[in-house]
Amino acid sequence: MLTYILRRLLLVLVVVWGAATLAFGLLYLSGDPVNLMLPLDASPEAREELRRAYGFDQPLYVQYGRYLIKLLHGDFGTSLRSQEPALDLVLQRMGPTLTLAGWGLLFAVLVGVPAGVLAAVRKGTIVELLTMTLALLGQSIPVFWLGLMLILIFGLKLHWLPISGAGSWKHLILPAITVGTFVTASIARLTRSGVIAELRSDHVRTARAKGLPGRVVVYKHALRNAAIPVVTIIGLQLGALLSGAVITETIFAWPGVGRFVLIAVSQRDFPVVQATVVVFALMLAFVNLIVDLAYLWLDPRVRYA
Amino acid sequence: MRKILFLLVFMLAALPAWAAGDTLVIAQGVDATTLDPVNHQETPTANVAAQIFDNFYRRLPNGQYEPWLGEAKALNDLTWELTVKQGIRFHNGEELNAEVIKFNFDRLLNPDKPLKYSTYFKTITNVEVTGPYTLKVTTSKPSPLFITRLTYLWVVPKQYIEEKGDAYFANHPVGTGPYKFVRWVKDEEIVLEANEDYWAGKPKIKKVVFRPIPEASSRVAELVTGGVDIITNLAPEAVAVVNGSGVAEARTVPSIRNIFVVLDVKGEGPLHDPKVRQALNYAVDKKSIIEHVLGGNGVPVGCPLNPYIFGYDEKLCEPFPYDPEKAKQLLAEAGYPDGFSFTMGSPSGRYLNDRQVAEAIVGQLAKVGVKAELRVQEWSSYVSQILERKIPTDAWLIGWGNAQFDADNTLFTLLYGGTVEGGPKRSIFDYWVDPEFDKYVLEAQTVVDQAKRKELYKKALEHVRVGAPWIFLYQQKDIYGVNKRVKWQPRPDELIWAFDAEIVK
Repeated sequence: MLTYILRRLLLVLVVVWGAATLAFGLLYLSGDPVNLMLPLDASPEAREELRRAYGFDQPLYVQYGRYLIKLLHGDFGTSLRSQEPALDLVLQRMGPTLTLAGWGLLFAVLVGVPAGVLAAVRKGTIVELLTMTLALLGQSIPVFWLGLMLILIFGLKLHWLPISGAGSWKHLILPAITVGTFVTASIARLTRSGVIAELRSDHVRTARAKGLPGRVVVYKHALRNAAIPVVTIIGLQLGALLSGAVITETIFAWPGVGRFVLIAVSQRDFPVVQATVVVFALMLAFVNLIVDLAYLWLDPRVRYA
Repeated sequence: MRKILFLLVFMLAALPAWAAGDTLVIAQGVDATTLDPVNHQETPTANVAAQIFDNFYRRLPNGQYEPWLGEAKALNDLTWELTVKQGIRFHNGEELNAEVIKFNFDRLLNPDKPLKYSTYFKTITNVEVTGPYTLKVTTSKPSPLFITRLTYLWVVPKQYIEEKGDAYFANHPVGTGPYKFVRWVKDEEIVLEANEDYWAGKPKIKKVVFRPIPEASSRVAELVTGGVDIITNLAPEAVAVVNGSGVAEARTVPSIRNIFVVLDVKGEGPLHDPKVRQALNYAVDKKSIIEHVLGGNGVPVGCPLNPYIFGYDEKLCEPFPYDPEKAKQLLAEAGYPDGFSFTMGSPSGRYLNDRQVAEAIVGQLAKVGVKAELRVQEWSSYVSQILERKIPTDAWLIGWGNAQFDADNTLFTLLYGGTVEGGPKRSIFDYWVDPEFDKYVLEAQTVVDQAKRKELYKKALEHVRVGAPWIFLYQQKDIYGVNKRVKWQPRPDELIWAFDAEIVK
């Protein structure tokens, strides 16, 4: 078991190195940040000076080597836009993003699981049709459109909720729903198919034959077994939540890392983009590890060696 | 009864954070990057800094400047005497005097720690304190733009920075300006409160809040529900929504930014012929583009300058009329009776409907037989290609905002061809080369007599008119959405100065 965890941790390192290298390579292919850091009318000499100051005049392998060495020390350099340590800037904005992702996930579980169970139990009725149509919509509606529609209805027309910004729990509702809708739909569909399969299984038939009430059969016997793939999908959806946060945070002016990195990319703020990519990669790798370990706990048949 | 009361309280609590009575909420696209007023490059940052700090000379809404924290007088071509206004204090009580101004120059001129505004003060060679409120500043060459550059001297406190350091200062600014810094929650809000002891008078608005809202439609939604008072970069398509809201209205101002198409006139292609370039200018219907693509938010202009800029000449800057017949005739004279083809680049999302404008130009040129193939790019790679001269197209659409309000920052910076011996080598878009023009704009850099400079720029513009190095398009209008309760007019330099504003009801 311990060796398994150690091996997985080593793999995390490889993943992070891969992500860091990819972030480095893609950014350098996309062009020199110096041109954006100075006004258009800055002299070529001033540009050269800045290029030298940041080391952009060095050969690529030298820059890459320096980058990796600094990375090992947890140093991503200073943001080209604000002159502050890039990692600090990213971590400062991680809180709001995780808050948003957390509430989005909570919304997804609270709505998605019951909806899936309902659709499974009422298979073949209008209830299933309705739930699954909504789920299909939830998976196919673009995040930005959904966000704008929620603003239009609840902010602009009904005046129930704030349109943008942060500061109170009310600010959280619309962005959390926006970011969580896709996951809600995935969970609902997965729960439905899992529960349907379980309802047909032998142990459920036995439970029914014993005369257990329907509710107990569904929730204790069918859902619990159907939950295993759902837990996996929740872990994997963290990626979707974080990438959804880029758009959601932009629409709702939520002070998170997604919107921050969007500006950083368009401004070629290399250190900030790199720090974000590495932090995200670390998070995803760890979440995957936790999901795999949670599997053990949920399903005693699973053994890692 | 209690139920009703409860419901009422709940409903009130559920209302969005309305801009309160004496608070002005300004929404811009992005957050400030720093609150050091001389170490940034963006208008949104400048707008926040301008509330907290004062500059040595102040830019007026009409583009003129006036003495603000002090006054400068030329002693001779190379020496200036600066007099600092007395009795002004920073928000922390520190006094403004000649030592503080010297500290500001030293900070900008420190070669080990260049600031983003250092570039405006490069010609200064020596700063000497001559009295408690007077200084002598020496420049390496005659500088007709010396005072213009003093509008970039946003004055920071000496003691405070020496004690707390630059990094702390950039997050906890202290200035002499009309508003004091309260707090900055990154990407969420910057809160400022009125400086009741402001030396130029008590601010009328008690509190100013800057909120970064990146999505344009969210800014509009906030504006029309009263959540914010002023929004920047209102899209022409959204003007009707804002005006129809009853709460807010669109206010526009012709900006200092001109939009134009640079033509790569080097080489032997058709664009090398001035007649062809004039023809292109006649073939583009500026009025129609402004009306149909920009919702009326532009002013046609026929030269690289606009009326705000020193050196502008009404006659030489008159827009080329839309005259496809004349264009065809000029093309025929140049030997292209059946037109020709070339490639044109455009950014997308950098300027007001830039891509659509480029598409309209392509359509209009087709009517005189000129086939332009359009290639649209994302701004950051586009601008890099232009600066590094790797842009793959024969022409490209771009804008230029001359924030110095002086022809030098357009004619020299963009068009100087590097032909004067011993002079600078090149400028940004020096594809067009005219030795006479070069001579005039270079001379204007060292003549302190403004009337003579104006004459030089007039001669330079005559050459531009004939040479037609660009397709001259229009002066862009900035569109703001403003709550009707706010008395405030937008300025051409994109500055939102809360001290000028008032909340009327």
